[in-house]
Amino acid sequence: MELGITFLIAGSLALFVMLPLLSRDQEGQGVLPVDVTPTADLKRRRLVVYENLQDLEFEYKAGKIAPEDYEALRNNYRAEAAGLMAASLEVERADAGEALIEREVAARRAERRQPPAPDYRCPKCGFENPLPVKFCGECGAALRPAKKKG
Amino acid sequence: MNQVGSVALVAALAFAVYGVVAGAVGGYLRSLKTVRSAERATLAFFVMITVAVVALEFLILKDDFHSAYVAAHSNSALPIYYKIAVLWAGQEGSLLFWTWLLSIYGGLAVLLNHRKNRQLMPYVVSILMATGTFFASITYFVANPFEQLSLVTPQGMTAFSPADGNGLNPSLQYHSMVIHPPMLYLGYVGFVVPFAFAMAALITRQLGDNWIRVTRRWTMVPWMFLGCGILLGANWAYYVLGWGGYWGWDPVENASLLPWLAGTAFLHSVMVQEKRGMLKVWNIVLIIVTFFLCIFGTFLTRSGIVSSVHAFAQSNIGPFFAVFMALIVFFSLTLLFLRLDYLKSENKLDSVVSRESGFLFNNWILLAAVFAVLWGTIFPIISKAIESETITVGPPFFNKVAVPIGLLLLFLTGAGPLLAWRKTSFQSLKRNFTLPVILAAATGIGTLAGGIRGLYPWMTFVLCVFVAVCILQEFYKGARTRMRIAGENFFRAIYNLTMRNTRRYGGYIIHLGIVLLFIGFAGLAFKSETKGLMQQGDLLQVKDYLFRCQELTSGQNPNYEYERAVLTITKDGQALGTVHPERRFYLASQQPISHVAIRPSLKEDIYVVLAGQDQDTGKAVIEVFINPLVSWVWIGGFIVFLGTLLAMVPSRVEREMAEIKRPSETAVEEKHAL
Repeated sequence: MELGITFLIAGSLALFVMLPLLSRDQEGQGVLPVDVTPTADLKRRRLVVYENLQDLEFEYKAGKIAPEDYEALRNNYRAEAAGLMAASLEVERADAGEALIEREVAARRAERRQPPAPDYRCPKCGFENPLPVKFCGECGAALRPAKKKG
Repeated sequence: MNQVGSVALVAALAFAVYGVVAGAVGGYLRSLKTVRSAERATLAFFVMITVAVVALEFLILKDDFHSAYVAAHSNSALPIYYKIAVLWAGQEGSLLFWTWLLSIYGGLAVLLNHRKNRQLMPYVVSILMATGTFFASITYFVANPFEQLSLVTPQGMTAFSPADGNGLNPSLQYHSMVIHPPMLYLGYVGFVVPFAFAMAALITRQLGDNWIRVTRRWTMVPWMFLGCGILLGANWAYYVLGWGGYWGWDPVENASLLPWLAGTAFLHSVMVQEKRGMLKVWNIVLIIVTFFLCIFGTFLTRSGIVSSVHAFAQSNIGPFFAVFMALIVFFSLTLLFLRLDYLKSENKLDSVVSRESGFLFNNWILLAAVFAVLWGTIFPIISKAIESETITVGPPFFNKVAVPIGLLLLFLTGAGPLLAWRKTSFQSLKRNFTLPVILAAATGIGTLAGGIRGLYPWMTFVLCVFVAVCILQEFYKGARTRMRIAGENFFRAIYNLTMRNTRRYGGYIIHLGIVLLFIGFAGLAFKSETKGLMQQGDLLQVKDYLFRCQELTSGQNPNYEYERAVLTITKDGQALGTVHPERRFYLASQQPISHVAIRPSLKEDIYVVLAGQDQDTGKAVIEVFINPLVSWVWIGGFIVFLGTLLAMVPSRVEREMAEIKRPSETAVEEKHAL
């Protein structure tokens, strides 16, 4: 009895483990996403420097740091923050450029995928009707719009 | 139930092996569904090991002496709470318990990261399950707790079940012994998680400070458990072993201290990487060393290569552990070597007098301590291998080496936090160190005038005052500044100061706990010991205390027989109370043990042992130890525990950091969640 239950648990678990392998991937979901993007990493590092600056400020106010040390350290941290900020901007600019290219490519693709305008050419008299109509504006014959192509 | 346990172990082993492969393949192919499957294997591993643990506990509680493990380590008269503890009382059960804790940590790591750290997780799972594979294999193939007793008869093998078991080792029948091993194991096992993240960071080349931030709490939790385990072990030794002390530099005690020291070094040096982008290689090395020492400690306890009060019997699992340890070293160091280019420091050390160098010194000293303790611990093994005779290294060696190292560390505990990052000028030093130095000097002069004996105890007290003033000054100055800037009252200011940076102020509280621990250690220098033979009505004078033997009784319960002395204590004619030291004889295991009577106080403990009966006179042998300041060791340990809990509370800064969204947190669809 207990042994049977143990086998049942093990079998169910095996199914539970295998189930994700049997599922079908949807577009973009089958690949492991990135943990830390360069932008997020730089932002985080900048936050650390700001935190260091805040600490320095507080310790100075608490009388723990001599004025000359405070000046020097503050300048160092500011320079570090400025460097990180510049790096962030660079990455953002590069990202923006990439995004622009991506957008253009997407737009072109979308354009290509646009279904052509439905055809309202009269099968009887050959008149090209300019608007979606049920009957030909020239001869009055009934029209059936052509099926989408592509 | 034995079969249930064995089947569960085999299934767990299969899931672990699958987890190793699926994790690595999923990570390599960047296939989300394969990684999900590997993560689920980690959870399945946990479930199956849990089934095995439940099966063994069932056998123990049911007194199924047909099971070899139960017959060897339990008996029917054992109280239920000790029966539960039988799970980790023997080699086989404790290995299963180790594996179970590993599966809990693994399961938690998977559940808490199922939307985070997607690139790291496949390899984290792989490494966790590789460790799981090793322990589950050892448990199943080499030290299986589900083996059954059988008799060889002329007709063949027949099942055999003794009437009662051998019983739990009497020295383990003590309340802190029920929680000491689980705490210690939670410490040993837990370091596998930060190690796995470090290795995953190396494999994926994500060697910024992400893995450090992710593993901070995963490191603090085992560090805290290991610390608690060590102190509970010391407490057990003090209350049970009856030699008047709590730390004897026993190889197994040392084995637990080693990863704690290395883990302490790691917890400090990661701050340098987070704040300054330095010590990247060093941090990886430290976590490798810490994890290696955890496995080494487990190996030392189980292989039977050292003799110790804790060690399990001689066994054949040693070579397997040796191979596993060699694999850890080879795999991690090769990976580290291959990724050295990604571990370049972002900044340089600006000055020797800075917080960074303070941390670096602290690391060197901690590693020196690791090396010294490790050397003393394995020296008997080396001497046996080279000289074919075992030369034991006793407490004098350890005390000689550890005391100066400990004092240096104590000094840094106070001085380090007062140094500024990058550099500290003489002017800044003067601002921070004037008051602590003056008060420490006053203590030094005062204690010398009071007639203190010994250089080390004197230095300890002086440094304790120095460190305590350094820390309290930090709180005071911070609170005063907040009161000025934010208009808060003192208590509000202290609260906000602490909660704004729980890690720093939690750390200070830990340092205060360490100061109290050192006060307790220093007390050892002033302990005194007296032995006397007593019978009813006899008196024994020890220092200022007068002991009178009221009566000597004896009795029996289902678990043990006992002899008990009832002694009244008076000091300057004033009654202080009664103590009841016992000598017990456990029936199942046929082993005697002393049950110490302790009258603790903040100043000193009165520690009384009924050591036995004098053969010639028939009188009771009473040993009395007066142990000054021991209570501060337990109080200090408790403060360290509280400080660690505080340091784990997320601070405002951390919450801000966490809010920077990772793409992985948004990209994973519900459908693929576990």
